[in-house]
Amino acid sequence: MRTKVEDINRNIYDIKNKDNYEFKIKKGLSKEIVEEISKQKNDPDWMREIRLKALETYEKLDLPTWGPDLSELKMDNIATYVKPKSDLNSSWDDVPEDIKNTFDKLGIPEAEKKSLAGVGAQYDSEVVYHSIKEDLLKKGVIYTDMETAVKQYPEIVKEHFMKCVPINDHKFVALHAAVWSGGSFVYVPKGVKLDIPLQSYFRLNSPESGQFEHTLIIVDEGASLHFIEGCSAPKYNKVNLHAGCVELYVKDGAYLRYSTIENWSKNMMNLNTKKAIVGKNAQIDWVTGSFGSRVSMLYPMSILNGENAKTEYTGITFAGKGQNLDTGFKVIHNAKNTSSLVNSKSISKGGGSCTYRALVRVSENAKNSKCSVSCESLMLDDISRSDTIPVNDIRTDEVTFSHEAKIGKISDKEIFYLMSRGLSEEDAKAMIVRGFAYPISKELPVEYAVEMNNLINLELEGSIG
Amino acid sequence: MNVKLNETPVRTSRNFQINNLKLDIDIPTKIKEFENIEIINQESKITKEIELNDLVYGNGEELEENNIKYSNNKIRIETKKEDIKLIYNFDDKNLELINQIEIIGNNDANIIIEYKSNTDKKCFHNGIIKTIAKENCKLNIVIVNLMNDKSNSFEAIENDILENAVVNYTIIDLGGKTSVTNYYSNILGVNASNDLKTIYLGKNEEIKDLNYIAELKGEKTNIDIDVQGVLDGNCKKNFKGTIDFKKGCKKAKGNENEFCLLLSDKAKSIALPMLLCTEDEVEGNHSTASGKVDNKSLFYIMSRGLSYKEAVKLIVKSNFNKIIDRILDEEIKKEVLEEIDRRLD
Amino acid sequence: MDKLLEIKDLHVNADEKEILKGLNLTINKGETHVIMGPNGAGKSTLANVILNNPEYTKTRGTIEFEGKNINSLSADKIAKKGIFMSFQSPEEIPGISTMNFLKVAKNKVTGKPVKIFEFKKEVEEYMEELNMNPKLINRNLNVGFSGGEKKKNEILQMLVLNPKLAILDETDSGLDVDAVRTVSKGIKMYKSKENAVLIITHNMKILSELKVDYVHVLINGKIVTTGTDKLVKEIEKDGFAKYKKAEI
Repeated sequence: MRTKVEDINRNIYDIKNKDNYEFKIKKGLSKEIVEEISKQKNDPDWMREIRLKALETYEKLDLPTWGPDLSELKMDNIATYVKPKSDLNSSWDDVPEDIKNTFDKLGIPEAEKKSLAGVGAQYDSEVVYHSIKEDLLKKGVIYTDMETAVKQYPEIVKEHFMKCVPINDHKFVALHAAVWSGGSFVYVPKGVKLDIPLQSYFRLNSPESGQFEHTLIIVDEGASLHFIEGCSAPKYNKVNLHAGCVELYVKDGAYLRYSTIENWSKNMMNLNTKKAIVGKNAQIDWVTGSFGSRVSMLYPMSILNGENAKTEYTGITFAGKGQNLDTGFKVIHNAKNTSSLVNSKSISKGGGSCTYRALVRVSENAKNSKCSVSCESLMLDDISRSDTIPVNDIRTDEVTFSHEAKIGKISDKEIFYLMSRGLSEEDAKAMIVRGFAYPISKELPVEYAVEMNNLINLELEGSIG
Repeated sequence: MNVKLNETPVRTSRNFQINNLKLDIDIPTKIKEFENIEIINQESKITKEIELNDLVYGNGEELEENNIKYSNNKIRIETKKEDIKLIYNFDDKNLELINQIEIIGNNDANIIIEYKSNTDKKCFHNGIIKTIAKENCKLNIVIVNLMNDKSNSFEAIENDILENAVVNYTIIDLGGKTSVTNYYSNILGVNASNDLKTIYLGKNEEIKDLNYIAELKGEKTNIDIDVQGVLDGNCKKNFKGTIDFKKGCKKAKGNENEFCLLLSDKAKSIALPMLLCTEDEVEGNHSTASGKVDNKSLFYIMSRGLSYKEAVKLIVKSNFNKIIDRILDEEIKKEVLEEIDRRLD
Repeated sequence: MDKLLEIKDLHVNADEKEILKGLNLTINKGETHVIMGPNGAGKSTLANVILNNPEYTKTRGTIEFEGKNINSLSADKIAKKGIFMSFQSPEEIPGISTMNFLKVAKNKVTGKPVKIFEFKKEVEEYMEELNMNPKLINRNLNVGFSGGEKKKNEILQMLVLNPKLAILDETDSGLDVDAVRTVSKGIKMYKSKENAVLIITHNMKILSELKVDYVHVLINGKIVTTGTDKLVKEIEKDGFAKYKKAEI
């Protein structure tokens, strides 16, 4: 008897709107296309130059020689810029009906009312809604779309844009820098602590297109922020591409928690890059749930540059039929007394493939650092695949480093225990799978934990109060 | 000559610098027969006729080709139930060994293979050891590398393990400026089992590169890898350990454990412990850890009158002890312990 | 008399090795049975095989509950018929609180919706009787519980689910004197004329406060003798040596 854990219920996410754009750039990638995007976006000259230089870098770089097969991705078939029929609004009432309906169904405006300090919503290539609570504005918190930031805060953007993630990091970073559009810019001034989260939601509706949003967050000294990003798209038969870039600057004594629920449709190539530079006594925590996309290559990275800097990574990946999710975490310990804690889980079923790929590097000057990694993989059947590929690169002796990984199926003993209390085999297995994911779901904001449990759809409704 | 060797079975990001090892080394060709070898046995059939197939992994194209073309010593053993010793003594007249060993496990046997330098000159070793453990056979194989600090040593090991057979492999990797081991175990038969235990001790500018790959194919197969190491000076070590649960290996178990003790803040320890899995009814675990000598133990031992250096030696040897105990030959065991002391001085 | 459990000529294998070798046992309503025996005699196997743990294979014989053959029912179906087993080492299940789990199990076993307020009150009362830390109810099922807390949690589940037959597999092992007394108390609270208990133990302490009807000595896969509570005292004094010899 095999575990029957249902595929993720995608009904809400699969609502397709008509591909009703104001402007869709022709497919493919060329200097003309990049210049056209730049023109459409009214870039200042310096930004246009970054784009063109990035395109040159893109052309020079090779595809990765490792990881999932990317041959289905043909840049000639991808439109890199799709402008929706909407301007940037600060009231949901002003967002066009079809787009607003989508976000309503995803529960975004509802969540904003209840529990968020600010919301951004991107539809295809442009942000259609952005708002932030009045009192935060007064404290000097900036939360806006990236285009506005380029124009209103050019000095801050110039100093930070593509500096944490260098353009030549890999091919899709270069692509991102050439055609980026949308995304969020956050600045939290010194000492300001936000006690409820900001959230950006990214929706890609247009078929055969790409989303290349850029997220730039600066949490200044002693400040604190919880940022949530959600991503989804309806399923089309042709390949879509997501190559976003997230650059996070966590200054001395600051705290940032970055939570992601990624639920792209199963035709999505999700080749995303996220990095954080962490200062003295500062901390970044990543909480990541990866459920969607056909192929994912996503390895958030913490660069611990300041003494006593800390990072935690808590991630779960669930790959079902047709999915190849290559995810993990990278951390560079670059200063004394830095510490990292990694807790990763994956579930493979229905022929899906999960890979945990990681790097821990403790450099020569990271004396007295600590790193602890735990990594568990669950195989729900014998047609799926689960690989663990962690590199541990230790270059100093004063370090406490440990790494543990486990792979296996659901314990028969646990199933029997639960069945002896009256649960059917399916219920017992589902309960165990949910328990397996629990260390991650408990780290998520309540709404998202609920969403995640819905995503895993453990069919326990009605039986658990 | 530039060579690329010890490629991992699955690549990861190039930036991580561990997919393979690149070296610039002199590879000798057209060399004379290696003469200073002792073979100690009673009954097993020992011949020189070996026909090797291409290795599944091996130490890279260049070295494998070098071995096939220029091999200057070949030993084929068909085991009888006994203890067998092969001792390769490098000396001023025998500085280069390109050898092949084939072990056909018909009967239970204990086999020790030792490489040692009785010279200060630079020695070169490029070897292939191919083992077939037949049904129900139990082999204990110990490889001891005591080559001098200038030497280069390359060993490619390959096992086929059939139904109910057990192969216990022990690798004592002490010698050489560069020591590269490729170990591939093809665990085929139902209930076949392989246990691999290694100690290494690297110092100065030495390079240690260990690439261990175990493929579990038969039902209820088992692999247990335990690697204990010590790094001093500027030594650089790469440990790549892969346990691959292939389709059909229901109820297989795989364990991999690596511990690296760092005695210097310049030493570099990279580990890539991989678990690959396409079967559900399996249990796979790996753990790696590294750190320096525990201050509490050090203090405790020193409080009993031992110097710092003596205390470190004691701790290192206690980490290694279980593995060294697998050397059943007292003489060679003594040589190993002395070499550890010498290298830690 | 109302027959609850009847085991006839039961042979059981684990990993192709025969553990139970022709075991017979009948338990009626209202009775308390004790099975004693040395390590490895097959005591835990008996408990597990009644619940049809897939790790064991029945090669011969039948297990009937209330006159119906339950040989091939799955554990959840057997639980629904009213058999409960307290595990020797209860599993830790993260992600579900003990309270929620009790609700789920009660709902499954009775097939009726659970009235939350009354149920919670009932559970809290039992916990107080069992001297359990009330905070445990909100912790994940058995996760991070001490050995004693886990065993008490088993007894709590027994009380809440109120089965017709409770099988206690070494519930007293590894417990201190006070905890053993609490477990005995739990059993007394549960026991009525309408239900039955099968206690598997090699510890005499738990029996001192209970009224025992039958004591069976299990050696090498068979019940070699059956007696009253006097047998407990005899074994406490002389051990199993006499019966082991008889077996050989």
